[in-house]
Amino acid sequence: MITKLAWKNIWFKPLNTVLSVILLTSSVAIITTLILVEKQFEEKFSSNIENVDLVLGAQGSPLQLILSSVYQVDTPTGNISYDSAKVWMNHPFVEKAIPLAFGDNYRGYKILGTTADYLAKYKAKVVDGDLFKKNFEVVVGAEIAQKLNLKVGDEFYGSHGDAEEGEVHDDFAYTIVGIASKTGKVVDNLIVCTIPTVWQMHHQHEENPAHGEEGHIHVEGEHEHEHEHEHEEEDMTIEEPNMEITAVLLKIRNQMAKLTWQRVIPQNTKMQAVSPAFEVNRLFGLFGIGVTALQYLAYGIMLISGISIFIALYTTLKEREAEFALLRVNGARRFQLLKIVMIESLLLCVVGFVFGSVLGRVALSMLSNASEADFKMSFDPYTFIWQKEGILLAVTLLVGCIAALIPAIKAYHLNISKTLANA
Amino acid sequence: MISTKNLRFSYTKEQEFIFPDLYCEAGSTLLITGDSGKGKTTYLHILAGLLSPNAGEISIDNTDIVSLSEKEVDQFRGKHIGVVFQKSYFIAALTVLENLEMASWLATGKKHTKRAKKLLTQLGIENQAAKLPSQLSIGQQQRVSIARALINEPKVLLADEPTSSLDDKNAENVIALLTSLSKEYKAALLIVTHDGRIKEKFINKITLV
Repeated sequence: MITKLAWKNIWFKPLNTVLSVILLTSSVAIITTLILVEKQFEEKFSSNIENVDLVLGAQGSPLQLILSSVYQVDTPTGNISYDSAKVWMNHPFVEKAIPLAFGDNYRGYKILGTTADYLAKYKAKVVDGDLFKKNFEVVVGAEIAQKLNLKVGDEFYGSHGDAEEGEVHDDFAYTIVGIASKTGKVVDNLIVCTIPTVWQMHHQHEENPAHGEEGHIHVEGEHEHEHEHEHEEEDMTIEEPNMEITAVLLKIRNQMAKLTWQRVIPQNTKMQAVSPAFEVNRLFGLFGIGVTALQYLAYGIMLISGISIFIALYTTLKEREAEFALLRVNGARRFQLLKIVMIESLLLCVVGFVFGSVLGRVALSMLSNASEADFKMSFDPYTFIWQKEGILLAVTLLVGCIAALIPAIKAYHLNISKTLANA
Repeated sequence: MISTKNLRFSYTKEQEFIFPDLYCEAGSTLLITGDSGKGKTTYLHILAGLLSPNAGEISIDNTDIVSLSEKEVDQFRGKHIGVVFQKSYFIAALTVLENLEMASWLATGKKHTKRAKKLLTQLGIENQAAKLPSQLSIGQQQRVSIARALINEPKVLLADEPTSSLDDKNAENVIALLTSLSKEYKAALLIVTHDGRIKEKFINKITLV
């Protein structure tokens, strides 16, 4: 009955109520979105670097190397010689080495030349069909298969480089031999094939000047001439000499090597070795400034909504004094008046929190669609992070309590006789 | 029934009100009159337990309400004392019927909807039940106040200048309703007033001097 009265009271002055609810909703929405994005972003970034201690690639920006070779979101730093990479790949300190050669794309999805270890690293199993064995056989990631409705046995032509609008390579068709299982990691949005596939695809086009851009696999000029007339029909193999790849993902046995290689490799070769964990932490650090700024903004809005609730309760208190006195005459205790004011404020907060949580998730799903299109990274708006969102609810309710404190105490100490005699 | 003995009250040290003893049987009416500033409203607030006197006793149905704690007085007032004020106060966000239900819920923990509807019918305003109090005329509002004062079937019905803001016809109506309903509900009716129009209608009178 008290709650019902409080509910009716807050909607009796709808403008005050709507203002407070809008402010609360926006601050809760911002914080909810941040909580969800931060958590899922970190999870996605961290899960992708599992079992990768170092990334070997061309010299350049270390962060760019990590973003391109691990997350497939940036352009590569350049190519490295497969022969010199092999020196490090076969080193006894190395537990596992996965070579990567960036190829073309199919409707915006990257085609990546690698080995079966790459799929194994992400615990992606071939659920339908088989693993690629021959050149131009590909395994497609779960999400691509679903979105583009691809099946085993389908054939397609790739477009050059990483731009969807790139020139179509229609000399060779890729054949889908398998569909990978869903992992929630970057492999879901990749088309995976053998490294010689990437080599052979571009082997024909060496004289096209557009192929010289960084990150694109091409055969050395000299090398090309030998092959021009001999090997038209014959498939290239991994044993091919003087070829280039883009990067190598390394899992290292020796703890010291993880550190020393980061220094030794760039000093002695044209390559660099970068720790993805370190670079990702650096990225989170940069990212964190923005997140913190937004958080301050959101808590600022929450503070303002608290003040708005306080002003609304305080100013209407004067006109409601007679009403409160009346409740006392009808048998209400002092404490029940305090309860009415408190509950009114808390109801506003709960309404604001519910709207905010919903709005935050709507915003996240919109954000997810945008990032899906740009970075092939999606966020799940339907997960709940109970701990952090619970704290947010507690903070919201605390704001309500504090805002209502002074008006509630005033209602508690109301002098009924005086109020009724003077009115 | 209600009786008082040796009631004294003061707002400041210099001035003390000494109230005459009164006695009123269930179902009968007592008028308390007096000029402004003689403590009429103060007396009514003391009788309602809204102010506590410096000394004296108020016995309502053999309970001395002066000796009760504040919480007990709140509860006792809700159950056994009905008050009608000069101006009508309502919970603005609730309808007429909900206002009555709230009054009975606060006192007894139950919404006596049936009784509330019966009272509204007796007062001729049953078709206003779903309206907000602010949509009613002053005369109608005063009737709702009477209904609210009677909803818990109190032992004592206190009325503070119930007719001063009403025209002659409405004033007569309200007095008639108050007296007949207090008889029906067996409540002792105490009316505090300086309204000359109703003074001659009653035999039992106390004048504050």
